[in-house]
Amino acid sequence: MNDLTYGAITRDILRPLFKPSVAYLGLLGLALSVMAWGGYCWYVQLENGLGVGGYQPPVFWGVYITTFVFWIGIGHAGTLISAILFLFRSKWRTGVYRASEAMTIFAVMTAGLFPAIHVGRAWNAYWLFPYPNQRELWQNFKSPLMWDVFAVSTYFSVSTIFFYVGLIPDIATVRDKTTGFVGMMYKQLALGWRGTDRQWHHYMAAYGFFAAFATPLVLSVHSVVSWDFAMAQTAGWHSTLFPPYFVAGAIFSGCAMVITLLLPMSRIFDWGKYLTTWHFESLAKMCLLTGFILTYSYATEHYLAWYSDNPYEWGIFAFRATGAYSWVFWIMVSCNCLIPLVWWSKKLRTNWVVLFAVSVVINIGMWFERFNIIASSLAHQFDPASWVYYTPSWVELGILAGSFGWFFVWFLLFIKVMPSVAIAEVKELVRPPLKADGEAAA
Amino acid sequence: MSIERRDFLKGLGVAGAAIAATGCDYNSPVAIPAPLNFLEDPFVPYENVLPYVVQDEQLVNGVPDYIATRCDECPAGCGAVAKIREGRVINIEGNANDPISGGNLCAKGIAGLQSTYSPDRFKGPLQAGAETTWDVAAAALATAVQGGGVAWLGRYRSGSLAALIGQFMRAAGGPALMWEPLGPDALRGAVRTAFGRDALPTWHLDDAHTVVSFGADFTASWISPVEHARGWANSRDPAHGDFVSRTVFIAPRLGNSGVLADVHLSPAVGTEVDVALALAKLVAGRNGYAGPALALLSGVDASAVATASGVSAARMEELAGWLAEDRSVVLPGGPTDGTDPGALAAAVLLLNEVCGNIGRSVRFGDEQPTAHHANTALVLTLLDDCRSGKVKVLFIDDLDPVFNLPPEAKAAEALAKVGTLVVLTNEPSESTLPNAWVLPPGSTVEAWGDGNVRTGHYTLQQQAMRPLFGTRAVGDLLLAIAAKAGLAVAAATPTDATPTDATPTDATPTDATPADATPADATPTQPVAPPVVRKRLPMGSPELLGTSPSALMGAAAVATAPAAPPVPVPGLDAPDFGSYVKAWWQGVVWVAAGQPGNFEDWWIQALLHGGWFQPADATGADFQLAATPKAAGKLSGDGAVNLVIFAHPFLHDGRHANKPWAQEVPEPVSSWSWTTWAEIHPATADKLGLVRGDRVTVSTSRGSIDIDWSPSPAIRPDTVAVVLGNGKTTGGRYTRYGANPMKLIGAELDASTGALRFTSSRAGLAMSSEKAVSIPYIGSMDMTDRPINYAVSVEDLGKGEGAGSIVPMELPELDPRLVAAGIHDMYPEPDHPTYRFAMAVDLNRCTGCGACMTACHSENNIPVVGPEQMKMSRYMGWIRLSRYWQGEGETPDVRFQPVMCQQCSHAPCEGVCPVLATYHNLDGLNAMIYNRCVGTRYCANNCPYSARRFNFHTFRWPDSFNLMLNPDVSTRDMGVMEKCTFCVQRIRAVKDHYRDQGFTVTVPPEALDELTACAKACPSDALTFGNAKAPESKVSQKFDDPRAYRMLGELNTKPGVRYLARINHIPSVAHHQGAGEGGDEGHGNLGSTGGEHAGGTGNGATSAHT
Repeated sequence: MNDLTYGAITRDILRPLFKPSVAYLGLLGLALSVMAWGGYCWYVQLENGLGVGGYQPPVFWGVYITTFVFWIGIGHAGTLISAILFLFRSKWRTGVYRASEAMTIFAVMTAGLFPAIHVGRAWNAYWLFPYPNQRELWQNFKSPLMWDVFAVSTYFSVSTIFFYVGLIPDIATVRDKTTGFVGMMYKQLALGWRGTDRQWHHYMAAYGFFAAFATPLVLSVHSVVSWDFAMAQTAGWHSTLFPPYFVAGAIFSGCAMVITLLLPMSRIFDWGKYLTTWHFESLAKMCLLTGFILTYSYATEHYLAWYSDNPYEWGIFAFRATGAYSWVFWIMVSCNCLIPLVWWSKKLRTNWVVLFAVSVVINIGMWFERFNIIASSLAHQFDPASWVYYTPSWVELGILAGSFGWFFVWFLLFIKVMPSVAIAEVKELVRPPLKADGEAAA
Repeated sequence: MSIERRDFLKGLGVAGAAIAATGCDYNSPVAIPAPLNFLEDPFVPYENVLPYVVQDEQLVNGVPDYIATRCDECPAGCGAVAKIREGRVINIEGNANDPISGGNLCAKGIAGLQSTYSPDRFKGPLQAGAETTWDVAAAALATAVQGGGVAWLGRYRSGSLAALIGQFMRAAGGPALMWEPLGPDALRGAVRTAFGRDALPTWHLDDAHTVVSFGADFTASWISPVEHARGWANSRDPAHGDFVSRTVFIAPRLGNSGVLADVHLSPAVGTEVDVALALAKLVAGRNGYAGPALALLSGVDASAVATASGVSAARMEELAGWLAEDRSVVLPGGPTDGTDPGALAAAVLLLNEVCGNIGRSVRFGDEQPTAHHANTALVLTLLDDCRSGKVKVLFIDDLDPVFNLPPEAKAAEALAKVGTLVVLTNEPSESTLPNAWVLPPGSTVEAWGDGNVRTGHYTLQQQAMRPLFGTRAVGDLLLAIAAKAGLAVAAATPTDATPTDATPTDATPTDATPADATPADATPTQPVAPPVVRKRLPMGSPELLGTSPSALMGAAAVATAPAAPPVPVPGLDAPDFGSYVKAWWQGVVWVAAGQPGNFEDWWIQALLHGGWFQPADATGADFQLAATPKAAGKLSGDGAVNLVIFAHPFLHDGRHANKPWAQEVPEPVSSWSWTTWAEIHPATADKLGLVRGDRVTVSTSRGSIDIDWSPSPAIRPDTVAVVLGNGKTTGGRYTRYGANPMKLIGAELDASTGALRFTSSRAGLAMSSEKAVSIPYIGSMDMTDRPINYAVSVEDLGKGEGAGSIVPMELPELDPRLVAAGIHDMYPEPDHPTYRFAMAVDLNRCTGCGACMTACHSENNIPVVGPEQMKMSRYMGWIRLSRYWQGEGETPDVRFQPVMCQQCSHAPCEGVCPVLATYHNLDGLNAMIYNRCVGTRYCANNCPYSARRFNFHTFRWPDSFNLMLNPDVSTRDMGVMEKCTFCVQRIRAVKDHYRDQGFTVTVPPEALDELTACAKACPSDALTFGNAKAPESKVSQKFDDPRAYRMLGELNTKPGVRYLARINHIPSVAHHQGAGEGGDEGHGNLGSTGGEHAGGTGNGATSAHT
């Protein structure tokens, strides 16, 4: 990397920002149409009621909560990489953190849709927020769903601010390369950044502060989400294991998603210099670690269910592995526990095809993990007389697909308007331009 | 342009006036209702009339009236009470004064409300499909009747309507057949042969130590289900007698009553008669019976029967021992049971005779007169006469012979030949042929009437509301025709007008000789038709609901009253049927009562009371059977399995198929709704490779049907049973599901009684290529040993520890210091200052009849979702009737359990609702604010009882079903969670009532016992509601029963519902050995038990903290 100049870096990283290609427009169009399909499905649901879903009482939660937890989990990796690894001064974060943070913001935005999609009366979803109203209604702060509202909105706002703070020097770089109306926009967004020592001094203090502020949130948000389940007494949910288990799962899926997103970017934009095999290998190692924690959690769950001699717990865990939903369980185990083991081989974890394929497999596995937890527990509640088998309907699957459309629309727009790799930080890693280098370095 | 101040004001004035005028227009007189000639304008629902332009003086908005009436949904003849709000009947319940209903009503009776508001009702008279008027119809029919060849085919009628029909048909010169498709034809014939009486005995299960049924579904569809359910429950209840009856079912399958059995014997199809005779022989050998029946048993060889039937000799000996040693009752097969229903009924009567039951548990005296009832043989003859042209005018009164008879009877073809076919029905059926006059008579609550199903039992049916549409009651129509046709107007004598005289049963229809029925010395004076009296009563009026019959009805006067002059009974010249009913009561019932006091006063009292009830004393009858009953019938056809047909507990023979409640409430045993299903043994199903979601084809030489299937571990593997009731090809919008199994059987008659042989064919069974549209509602029939539904064996009962006790919950041991400080529970009961509303569900009394579910639908405006939604198990009923099969083979041990919201004190649902739409109130209710709910559904996930229901769509009734909604309960839109709240609207009403009376005390416990709709409905009194804070309340006493436990008690949700374990005669299977109930009590959880009550119910209080 040391042979790179500042100018080359700026050129390379800003390359995607200008003049959309046909392929880009095609991808954006695809994402938009998938999103529109999801929107139509939601319309169908708003018009007719949640009955258009596949819900079979007592399975009252299904694809939407699964997908909500999935996206919240995806939203973990970004802030983890940018904040925690920043505090740990982990160098490999530099190349990947900007895109991961963007992924986080968009994933949380996607997740944030799902409570509204999920509730029976979406038009009243704002009642979940405690605001002064003349009806003197107030919320129930005992409910984990309320904690969810706060955890997710706090995480989203802090992550967004942190993301924006990190963007400021790079926005200024873009500002310097643009003119006219677009330039005006970047100018506003750059908040008058000039790169002075004084600005850098304040900037680094603020960045460190937000990194420290965001770090506990990374751990808290998915812990709180896990309480949606752990606080309920439904067998298969009611477990103190859930917070660490969910956080590990979230980081696992988030890192996998970063690989899924950045590997193609690295190839398409020819960013091999910035997003090196080393970066992806580090992410893969992160996945190996968290995947191991996850596997251990699965084992612990089953062991505890067996050891507790609680008929409901053991009933659920035996049912998950052998019952009607065993196909979900085994998808989960294969995708999350077994297939990622190939990354123990250095040869395979440095092979970009394997990296990409396994990361996709992990994402699939993590979605099914949440589905496994939610659907199987509810389908076999305490009273066998109410046992059912739930399968999602086309509307639910349409909205699930639409959520990917929505996410990718945002992500595609992001890589078109913002530098996806942190220019300023990458520049820190290369030899600064010296006067002796002459004009070439400019 | 400048505007002057005056101009501005002028303009303002004009504009203001214009706006004001527009505003007035909103309330313009256009909306004033049409005049009260609604009968003349039959095609417009009466709905658009504003009800209170002239308000009824007695009416208070928001306060319901209760009018005593009767239930006419089946021939059992229960008394009922109609609840009326602002002019509309919104609920029907049992009348506590009536000895048959005992204040309760079955699912069919409660769902009867839907016959009034059905959107498929005919709005007025039709001639060959074209609208006509009642005057035109009456005139045309008068002309037709004068032409002769008149016949009547109707359902069972009694009381004054039967008398009027009898008079009318005598005058018109034709036979009147009163027939039920599932009527007890065989039993009636057997009783006539065995006892020489045209009557059905009444069956008293209360004091029987052994209840044996040869297939009769006595709590669901057989003769008088409400009464039998109560009797059976009493016989099981150690609190009622000092014994717990054994229930034995002898039939190839277990129906709704069958699953209550301790012992199930399934003799080979066709050998039931022999089994009954063999039992009689064994019993006679034990109890020394020496009566007339003994001679008939000489040829019976019990061991040969054991071999032939497959019932072990030891079992038969055991059963004979039970029957010989103690009081018993043996019920014959229902109309669809047995290959030879007449012989089976006779054999069972013989068995009862040998057991000494005649006059004790099988009683005459308060018998049901049946001389006016026709059997299927007569109906087939009538159809022959239709075909041959002898019948020119045929009245069909509320029957559907085309649907209910096998295709071989060719009923449709026969009816089509009738020149003037008059179908008196409210809703389309297969018998409303295109050429027919369809004359809708209106529903029970829209017309006057009465009932007299038993000696000494007279119910009155008041017109509880104005007819919704342009209908005319059968009686009014007959009177109108008679007036126009100038039929004989002579009044009959009182005896002449009793229903027994209404039809010549023994004669074939064409032989009917009506002339001799008209007495020559008839009194010509006619009763003066008085104005019809409607009496309303405020809620909770003791006059209606509490007082004993004899006090009000002058029963004491019967013996002492001087012989009064005979009072004339009405004739065909009565001005309207209401007057006819009143005159009939004066001439018949008042006279039977001994003419106490003034008739007008007595009449008012009868109306208030719901009738006049003085059941006759029990008597026996002389057994005079001459020949040993013999099974001669063979099954025809060569299919692989025996075909058995059975009545649907809610749809019955199909007459209730257009009632969505009856269709949707899952049938308790199979938990199917909206379909026809075949019961198949799991082994047979395995052979065919059937899995859930498959369908089967049942075929005989007559036809084949493609239906759903339901696994029944109790049915014989060589038998398939198909339910009746669904599969109408033309009928209301809710009837087009399933298939009609009548298509499978022939019109074969029982030789001795003229009853139809429903069990007459063998059938082929194969997997169908179709897939099921829906699935059964109950998920698993295996309880998987969870602490949900307990049973206690009789031997363990009351021992208090060990296997006889129930362990719902064991709290962990607390620190001794906490115990010393008086803290026994980490989660103490919340403060309930005055009330802790609670419910006790006695599983030992529950028959799984479904009345509670139906009543809940009716009371709480619960929507019906239809088969597609039922497939998603989105049933909205607030009570789930769980059903678990715990036993196998001859000891089925099937457990029912109604599960409603348990009103937990520590409700898992409450804490998780983010918007506080559900919360615990001071009365112990888990209350629900529908309007606050945003539909996160977290509460429903977290409810371990799965008691919450979610509105996945906005379910709406079509017009005119919406008129039956209970205005006290809001309807719920999509996205809202709902559940049982113990009928909180009724709680509010009764609290308000006592508050308005100026009482400062709490509502007295006895006013709460049956307050909720489900408890009020329950025919077997299994449900008890009340205030658990009041130690004297019935519910508190039930809670103190050693059998009381909490469902899933170890979750420590402290539910307000407690179940009382079923008592079994087979070894308990759900015992937790070696622990007591102690943990359940002693920490002040439910009011009455207080803080100090520690295992006082005799349970081993083993928990450390007590």
